[in-house]
Amino acid sequence: MRTRLPRPRRLAPVCLAVAVALTAAGCGSGDDPASGGTVELRFGWWGNADRAAATQKVIAAFQAEHPTIKVKGETTDFNAYFDKLATEVAAGGAPDIITLGGAYPREYGDRGALLDIAKVGDRLKTDRIDAAALGNGTFDNVQYGVPSGVNAISAVLNPALFQAAKVPLPDTDTWTWDDYQRIARELAVKLPAGRYAVADPTRTDMLDVFSRQRGEALYTADGKVGISTRTLTDWWTMTTALRDAKASPPAATTAELQGQPAPEQSLMGRGLAAMAFDWSNQAKALTTAAGQPLELHRVPGESTAAQPGQWLQASQIYSINARTRHQKEAATFVDFLVNSPAAGRIILTDRGIPANSQVRAAILPALSLDESRQVKYIEALTPKAGPPLVIGPTGSTDTPGILDRLNVDVLFGRTAPAAAAEDFVKQVRSAIKE
Amino acid sequence: MIGRTGTRPVRAPVSWRRRGDRAAYLFLAPWLLGMAVFTLGPILASLYLSFTEYSLVAPPEWLGLENYREMLDDSRLRSALVVTFTYVFVSVPVQLTLALALAVALNSGVRGLRFYRSVYYLPSLLAGSVSIAILWRQVFGGQGLVNQLLDRFGIQGTSWIGHPDYALGTLVVLNAWTFGAPMVIFLAGLRQIPAMYHEAAAVDGAGRVARFFRITLPLLTPIIFFNLVLQVIDAFQSFTQAFVISGGTGGPADSTLLYTLYLYERGFGSFDMGYAAALAWFLLVVIAALTAANFLLAKRWVFYGD
Repeated sequence: MRTRLPRPRRLAPVCLAVAVALTAAGCGSGDDPASGGTVELRFGWWGNADRAAATQKVIAAFQAEHPTIKVKGETTDFNAYFDKLATEVAAGGAPDIITLGGAYPREYGDRGALLDIAKVGDRLKTDRIDAAALGNGTFDNVQYGVPSGVNAISAVLNPALFQAAKVPLPDTDTWTWDDYQRIARELAVKLPAGRYAVADPTRTDMLDVFSRQRGEALYTADGKVGISTRTLTDWWTMTTALRDAKASPPAATTAELQGQPAPEQSLMGRGLAAMAFDWSNQAKALTTAAGQPLELHRVPGESTAAQPGQWLQASQIYSINARTRHQKEAATFVDFLVNSPAAGRIILTDRGIPANSQVRAAILPALSLDESRQVKYIEALTPKAGPPLVIGPTGSTDTPGILDRLNVDVLFGRTAPAAAAEDFVKQVRSAIKE
Repeated sequence: MIGRTGTRPVRAPVSWRRRGDRAAYLFLAPWLLGMAVFTLGPILASLYLSFTEYSLVAPPEWLGLENYREMLDDSRLRSALVVTFTYVFVSVPVQLTLALALAVALNSGVRGLRFYRSVYYLPSLLAGSVSIAILWRQVFGGQGLVNQLLDRFGIQGTSWIGHPDYALGTLVVLNAWTFGAPMVIFLAGLRQIPAMYHEAAAVDGAGRVARFFRITLPLLTPIIFFNLVLQVIDAFQSFTQAFVISGGTGGPADSTLLYTLYLYERGFGSFDMGYAAALAWFLLVVIAALTAANFLLAKRWVFYGD
């Protein structure tokens, strides 16, 4: 475990002086701002090496503005991040600033691990932050975090593969799920071996989209399972048909990828799939990994749906550890991350399109073609997006695991779509203790 | 000591012994302290936690036997038990057979014994590491080494770690690959068998095979037993390989969900630390029962030579 003590080398002379003047007990408070020393904050996030490099730059820029605050970055990949965080929170050694997302702010907030942002409102302003995104960090009127940026699920298309197969790109403003399947089948026939029309589309956020288009949702506002078994059955009937048409990869390949969440390892990131669903802020990482320009589009079925299934949401949430000894400094740092154009110019769109309108305007000129595509995608989507997403209740962070397991059973033909649908609802209910 | 039998207590030797004791305890103190703080304390804490609901963040709440009751109808626990028992009962015999075969071969007077012994032992040192598990992903993945080899023979392989029927097999192979540790113990055991038994049997006309089954194997049974007990316990506690190869999920479809992995997932993934503690205590009971069974059965087949 990491200790919270300051770096011994730099503080050793301070300690020695204190020890000589008083007693050795004085060392413990060596990092108190009142004593004239610097405050050390720990900032944890997940992501790839590019994100780490950019974040280190942001930290350097922050430290230049605030010489008395030192920030130490701690990063791992997505899967390991939450395992590590749970352990650290339990041991009382979690970072001062914690990056969260999806249902995690509630998961931790409800358990008392996160600071109510209102308490540090004087240091951390949220008045310019997009309201919908801000809502993703608010539960029962407590603000557990501030959004890093705005994000949306999207259909990622690889035009080079469409071209190789001589299949025209779809009109994604009007396409339906039938169009999606038809195009996938066509691609499956015409693409060279080893390339796939689609990556297996099953993921919890797509179930959100698919059920919302039918007027349902994965979770209801009062924290229950909202998706019907009928919708789930239809979904898996579609994906198994894609598998049978060899439009999606063999079940074993999909299963292997479940344990590898990094964009670099995905079929889209390896340039092996023509269509996939992913979050818009992954566009840059995917494009870089694939080495080919990729496009972001609306998901199928939006124009003919009962209500649009897509929504805008906070891509990530910056939260402050309830147990931090430096609430004010942590708030100052988060304020810098979300409200400073200087930080925005470094992070750009990697953590979503900045939720602060001023920062968004400031970064526009600095964006590359791919990144400005992302901004355009979000801006075009904004008027067409559906209502804000109902974020899952406590326990719902188990849902992706439940879905992955059942999806493998379905893809290997061990469970029929209808049976898997029943099982999914049952298992999620048990996970959220409904 | 005799105690109060009316004779005068002999003071000097007692205090002398006490002083010796005191010194011993003083020297033991660091270990005792470590044992109490880092082993005994957590063990007792885990026993307490197993009767509570503990989400890591909020303080534990007393539940009584609820966690243990929940285990009775936990379908994932059942699949974890099936996976774990399959893993133990397949991988341990495979590993020990391989170890014994190699040990016998090396003991028959090969040149460069020291070299081979070190080379074969190497995997045992490495296999528990994360890097080897990552390597295993690459070897048995869809685009892995195994499939590239199969491709040369015109066979189209699947992703071995992605297929629920084969994923556990890759873990068994990985465990079998660590035959070096039991092999070294077997080698030491083989050296203990007096050469005169073999010579006498050879004079009586026993061939190599007969000598192996009639002399080597019976005299080696205590060593086989020792290795068996050790490797069974070890296999029950396997974690790293399954964790890394399945990306921490026990997937595909729970086919590599070893017991420890499920325990970890419940504790750190679902914040059910109380339930995870109960799982740990149940594992202790299972391992203890199997080890006891091992010792009971040992009376029937282990030959101590006296």
